[in-house]
Amino acid sequence: MLAFVLRRVSSAVLVMFSISVLVFLIFFATPGVDPAARIAGRSATPQIIAQVRHAFGLDRALPIRYGIMMDHLFFKQDLSSYVNIGAKVVPQILQAAPITISLVLGASVLWLLVGIAGGIVAAANRGKFIDPLIMFLGIAAISVPAYWLGEVVNLITQGGLHHSIFSWVPSSGYVSIFQNPFEWGLHLLFPWLTLASLYAGIYARVLRAELVNALNEDYVRTARAKGLSERRILIRHAFRCSLISIVSLFGLDFGALIGGAALLTEVVFGLPGVGLLTYSSLQNLDLPVIMGCVMYGAFFVVLANAVVDIGYAFLDPRVRVA
Amino acid sequence: MAGLGVLIFIVTICLLAPIYAHNIAHTNPFASNIQGSTFINGKRVMLLQQNTQGLGFGVTPIGPTWNFSHYFLGADDQGRDVFARLLYGGRSSLLIGTASALLCCIVASILGLIAGYFGGPIDWLLSRVFDIIWAFPIYLLAISLSVVLLTSGLNIGPLHIGAGSLFLPILIIAAVFIPYVARPLRGLTMSLREREFIQAAIGSGSSDLRILWKEILPNAAPSVIVFFPLMVAFNMLTESALSFLSIGVQPPAASWGTIINDGLGLLYTRPWVALAPGIMIAITAVSLNILGDGARDAFDPKAKLRGSI
Amino acid sequence: MKKFRLMRIVGAFAATLLVGSSAVTSSVPASADSSSFTYQPSHAGGTLKLLASTAGGTLDPQVNYTLQYWQLFQASYDGLLSFHKVSGQSSFDVVPDLATALPIVSNGGKTYTFTLRKGIKFSNGAPVTVNDVKASLERLFKVSNPNAGSWYAGIVGATACLATPATCTLSGVVVDPSTNKVVINLTTPDAEFADQLATPFGSVLPATAPSKDSGTTPIPGTGAYYFKSYNPNTKLVMLRNPNFKVWSAAAQPQGYPDEIDQVFSNTPESEVTMVENNQANFVFDPLPSDRLSQLSSKYANQLHVNTLTAIWYMPMNVNIAPFNNKLAREAVNYAIDKNAAVKIFGGSKLASPVCTILPPGFPGHVDSCPFQTPAGSTYSGPDLAKAKALVKQSGTSGAAVAIVATNDTVNAAVAQYAASVLNQIGYKATVKLLSANIQFNYIQNTKNKVQISLTQWYQDYPQASDFLKILLSCSQFHPGSDNSINISGFCNKSIDAEMATASTDMISNPTAGNALWSKIDQAIQGGNAVWAPLFTPKQIDFVSSGTGNYQFSKEFYMYVDQLWVK
Repeated sequence: MLAFVLRRVSSAVLVMFSISVLVFLIFFATPGVDPAARIAGRSATPQIIAQVRHAFGLDRALPIRYGIMMDHLFFKQDLSSYVNIGAKVVPQILQAAPITISLVLGASVLWLLVGIAGGIVAAANRGKFIDPLIMFLGIAAISVPAYWLGEVVNLITQGGLHHSIFSWVPSSGYVSIFQNPFEWGLHLLFPWLTLASLYAGIYARVLRAELVNALNEDYVRTARAKGLSERRILIRHAFRCSLISIVSLFGLDFGALIGGAALLTEVVFGLPGVGLLTYSSLQNLDLPVIMGCVMYGAFFVVLANAVVDIGYAFLDPRVRVA
Repeated sequence: MAGLGVLIFIVTICLLAPIYAHNIAHTNPFASNIQGSTFINGKRVMLLQQNTQGLGFGVTPIGPTWNFSHYFLGADDQGRDVFARLLYGGRSSLLIGTASALLCCIVASILGLIAGYFGGPIDWLLSRVFDIIWAFPIYLLAISLSVVLLTSGLNIGPLHIGAGSLFLPILIIAAVFIPYVARPLRGLTMSLREREFIQAAIGSGSSDLRILWKEILPNAAPSVIVFFPLMVAFNMLTESALSFLSIGVQPPAASWGTIINDGLGLLYTRPWVALAPGIMIAITAVSLNILGDGARDAFDPKAKLRGSI
Repeated sequence: MKKFRLMRIVGAFAATLLVGSSAVTSSVPASADSSSFTYQPSHAGGTLKLLASTAGGTLDPQVNYTLQYWQLFQASYDGLLSFHKVSGQSSFDVVPDLATALPIVSNGGKTYTFTLRKGIKFSNGAPVTVNDVKASLERLFKVSNPNAGSWYAGIVGATACLATPATCTLSGVVVDPSTNKVVINLTTPDAEFADQLATPFGSVLPATAPSKDSGTTPIPGTGAYYFKSYNPNTKLVMLRNPNFKVWSAAAQPQGYPDEIDQVFSNTPESEVTMVENNQANFVFDPLPSDRLSQLSSKYANQLHVNTLTAIWYMPMNVNIAPFNNKLAREAVNYAIDKNAAVKIFGGSKLASPVCTILPPGFPGHVDSCPFQTPAGSTYSGPDLAKAKALVKQSGTSGAAVAIVATNDTVNAAVAQYAASVLNQIGYKATVKLLSANIQFNYIQNTKNKVQISLTQWYQDYPQASDFLKILLSCSQFHPGSDNSINISGFCNKSIDAEMATASTDMISNPTAGNALWSKIDQAIQGGNAVWAPLFTPKQIDFVSSGTGNYQFSKEFYMYVDQLWVK
């Protein structure tokens, strides 16, 4: 176990290092992105721009600049934004993290429940009407652009029907759970539903396919021959082995979303989470914040995948974990 | 069969887009037509209508006429025929969506199977590559690339890639989703590897390649077939994000993704502009899905024997 | 997705060299109007909630160059001088603020003498002294204020400060604590110096303020409000300054709300909805086009429209093909339908077509539309046939042209329309959409070989030089630099000489000066078709039903501190 953990930690460091180098190189390889001119402001003279360049260490060689930035980010922990001078990157991310975690946790509970239930129902009733119906709904939900869905939800809940059916829906924004748990849930209700609907369909679809596959296996034939009920076969035997794909997907999705991939949902519902922070730093080409957010996201991706790999061993004891 | 039929229908009407635009709707879907007009119920109507109520702010394009001879789905904010653009857009979207999904599934299958089967250092390396790809900020790359392409274009050897090239979005989108398909397949392969019939094959001296090709792949194939239409839908949506950042389809050319982008600015007044391409993406994905199910059932020997659907 | 980043470009007033030394006794326009807002205590109180989709950068008033925060600085900081806090044309006048009166200008316009008021305190309780005034002026150089090298470079000792800002001691600023006098010496007379001191850059800050950009840490000020907290991702909070007493309502009036918040991270669509539902008071971002119809029908009495002296235009690069050919530039002017651009912006109630460089209502503006058939004083429409003929005549047919614009909805739409038109007249036009953060510097740098672009220019002072001299003179063209605001690259020595004459004339004989500026406008646009001017926009402000007392300043736009929430 220890060897496994050590291996995974070194993997995480390697992955984060590679990504940080790539981000750094891409940023400075982009034409027209000279941070000094933009920090100095409009109509700044070349003298002023040179002063700013020196103050930010932008006149040093690329590897040195990289080293300085990583030093400030991880060791001195005082890396600050190019755009919002004085706003430190790490505290910004730590403030935004609980919001994203709240959003993703709630949504993932919903989509797992709906997706797994949908997949089981569809597989149990394969061939009947409800099977293609669930599949159709699921795929239609995936095909909807996240931003569009969020805007439409807002249009309905905040716009025309706000004064009648949806008057209980609060305005966009976030309320901390420590401040008021009820408001926290209420503000997050529609973001949860929106985000969950984008993923539930995939899980239902994949689970159904895996279940149908599993139901054709020999051990299922044996179980049927033994006289077990169809439902028992489904839940206790086929289901466990079908979960591998679901667990893999969930690891990828959860890891990415915690790291900030839910940005469009956060943007539409005005939730200042890590996704929104990443999005605005990309728009502003604010390298320190981009770097911080990317490192944060990469960490969770690696962590989630490590957890998933451990999970394989529980789901299918025959699997040797790498 | 229904799936195949719907798919063929969609592809056909999209391929026939020029004929529709020219002969039926008599419109140029790529030229701006801000001051243009059309006839509805015999009356001449401006395509972009100034608001006359209240303070008189705002200009709104006409809504759907539900008449195939012109502006079936209404006009967009440049006064262009949305339905004609939808058909043209289908060509770009179907091309990008299916090509990138195909590329992604093929590469991901190979990598996922190899990683899951061989384990050890190969698996470790490939898993790290997957982690890097999956955690990578694709939008940073996209913004950077877009500026490079718009300013000077990219030169890789003899190839010159300009801003409107469809190569780049296909490659980028395919690469981004490789981990999404590869990791579940890897997990599946790891599970299959321990099964008795694989152990038997190994014991009987079959080469790894033969085992992968003859034993593992056919068992993993159904999963890949399930993923493929899902990937097509995802990719068409990702394409819209990349087009917004100026990679891929450039204005005035259209794709379902760019029409969605246009439609977001008209959501409160003309929701059909954003709705129609989303519906097209959904129908394409569903029919591919049904087609995939049928294909898998046709080729999967166990399914046939059991007589299940 | 779409993000609006508002940058108001303040004209970079290079020290205007006056030809010949005239004995100028006062170059500060005397403010004859000392009127001010009448304070009504019954409406005081409550919290004002402003919405902006993104934060506006640093809270340092000597660094921040955005209207978003200048709107807040005008209520929280004061300089020796300030703009008149009233509505209407007088809001452009300069009035004394921390100074007891307008300065005494002597020594041929090179010496400004102020007397500092007694008894004013910063929000941290410390009194305002003449040492703070001197330290604030020196701080401009220490924090690398964007205009330190232009507006304030004329102060004696500025050259040394620009070279070594860290040890800046402006020898030209002499203060005497016993008499409370502040004397500022300039190297040459500068007609715009008073205005430059009146902007937030001229704020008087405590001498203990940090010598670098303070960023997210607020600096104490003397205004009616102070900044309590600032989180660029969530919100900014301003509270009433407990140490504030009104000393001049014309310069810094009492405010009504007890607290002013600016809340970030919502989309413009959500923001409009929140104001509609009276969950917030005001939206700073431009209103989304698809909400305009609904707003103007259902919420007409909550919309306020004000004319701006600003312009949307397409500068053409006169140094590279195909627009180094005058006929090609004229063809573009004939071809583009300014009314179509107005439609894209939101209709004729929100913008008006413009054919000259100086917008209507601007001193020096003359109605003249030369590039239409027939030429006249008001815009009549495009002439595609003539445009096509001109393109053929010019020999530039078939040339590939790329229009560089920002990727927000309206700019992208106007650029697409223009490309479509250029295709019709014989070019192969495409659109290059870049994010607003990149585009503005990109189109200025000649290395990028931008042929034509779409951009805007907003002015701060009703001075023709702010448009003509800043945007079209040789000294504003810096090849190879990201800051070369003469985007067209137009440089004509004889027209430059006329600009110098006009600047001189403005001091002694404004009528003659403005007439000369008109001539220069005609020469550049009518004679050389350097730009394709499109339209001048209006400012639309949307306030909630629970918000009262909307007042508009031509300098700072809506007065946030004068709004009633009770």
